Amino acid sequence: METDVLIIGAGPAGLAAALETASRGLAVILIDESSSLGGQLPQQTQLIRPLPSEYGPLRGFELAEKLINQLEDYPINYLLQHRVVGLYADGSVGVTDEENVFPVKAKKMIMATGAAERAVAFPKWTMPGIMTIGAAQTLINRDFVLPGNEAVIIGSSDFAMDVALQLMAVGVNVKGIVEEQPEVQASDNVKIEQVQQSGVPIYLNASIIEARGNGEVAEIDIEHTGTVLTEKVDLVCVDGGRSPILDLFYQLGCSFGYQEKLGGWIPQYNSNFQTDREDAFLAGNAAGITSQGAILLTGMVAGISVCEKLQAISHDEAQQIRGSLFKELEILEDKDIWESRIHHIERYANPKLKDQFIS
Amino acid sequence: MHIKDHPVLGKQLQEPVTIYFKDQPYQAYQQQTVAAALIANDIKKFGVSRKNIQDRGLFCSRGRCCSCYMTVNGEDHVRTCMTRVEEGMEIYPNLEDPEVRRDGNGD
Repeated sequence: METDVLIIGAGPAGLAAALETASRGLAVILIDESSSLGGQLPQQTQLIRPLPSEYGPLRGFELAEKLINQLEDYPINYLLQHRVVGLYADGSVGVTDEENVFPVKAKKMIMATGAAERAVAFPKWTMPGIMTIGAAQTLINRDFVLPGNEAVIIGSSDFAMDVALQLMAVGVNVKGIVEEQPEVQASDNVKIEQVQQSGVPIYLNASIIEARGNGEVAEIDIEHTGTVLTEKVDLVCVDGGRSPILDLFYQLGCSFGYQEKLGGWIPQYNSNFQTDREDAFLAGNAAGITSQGAILLTGMVAGISVCEKLQAISHDEAQQIRGSLFKELEILEDKDIWESRIHHIERYANPKLKDQFIS
Repeated sequence: MHIKDHPVLGKQLQEPVTIYFKDQPYQAYQQQTVAAALIANDIKKFGVSRKNIQDRGLFCSRGRCCSCYMTVNGEDHVRTCMTRVEEGMEIYPNLEDPEVRRDGNGD
């Protein structure tokens, strides 16, 4: 199989990159491991904002629909339930449909592999009934299944607040939110208030001693202000933040740099969102954990850069579009994340050591 | 429990299918994953870990952690969070490592 552009990951970044490239006449293959497009967007029922100007405030599943629908007119080759599993010597990638492996030769690749939720470890954290907060959200909003009746949430990010409200709306009794830090991690005060007004206690400076149960979680011990609180639960949601998914970048031999604020080790890239490989670009959370709006913008930048390299648009036009996308990124993205990203790009352009693998 | 009427997305569960877990029939709906359909029927323990024999169930629901491995229609180590239900599907828990070298696996 041959193509101009191979996009790996059909979440918001991959879909945004697909629009930029396919709408400028390039042949696009879009691969995703799951059986549907949109990545994790379809189960986001909360309002997503801020988004780039052409999208306006939408709920996650509405944004997914919009991103998918605007590709309707272009002849994109979708390979759903397919995975990239390796690299051949001639630069093609090995793609599997879980039965056979076949090579795909692309002039350029855009890797939009996304992020995975991090676990929060405590004694017995692997017991059934204990799951990531994203898994609980997927169950209620995509599979329409109640994951439990009595829940405790560990972690207090904005995402945890969103899912806490969504769990309560389908009838789950959220008995408490446990936060290790001295303050709530979420920045959306309206949502924090909504959660608190629903009668959910937020335990700060608190930690989990252990979970107990026979075959599935039944009780959890929370340490808070020197006392131990035991809650009867059948669901524990852990919110440990996200890490970029990097397997493919390791396979391609890309170089990495460390940026704490962007999620730790991430591939090095320049302001075209091009890695140290001539043929490999990246977008979305794989280029640093950020917000939905910024994810779309990075997908657009990578798409524009690929169009430029394949001469679908001129260098000047690409520079102009990229310039305005970067301006919007600076506005949409959290300040510390934006600064880390710029630092990451600059450090790649001006390495402290020559021939470095990492910086 | 199945969410028959979702507060935002409405009534999405339309086409019921029957799946079998340890030969017992359970109701699921098309579009649900195997893992979700089992949880809807109060089955949370999907198997045990290979070394310390600890209970395992759905954890990440993204196909990355492999905590939800089960045997589905005779195939071992299927990620049930990434597999949609089908009528008559036969599901068994993942209680040990699969036999890799056997006729059905090409060796």
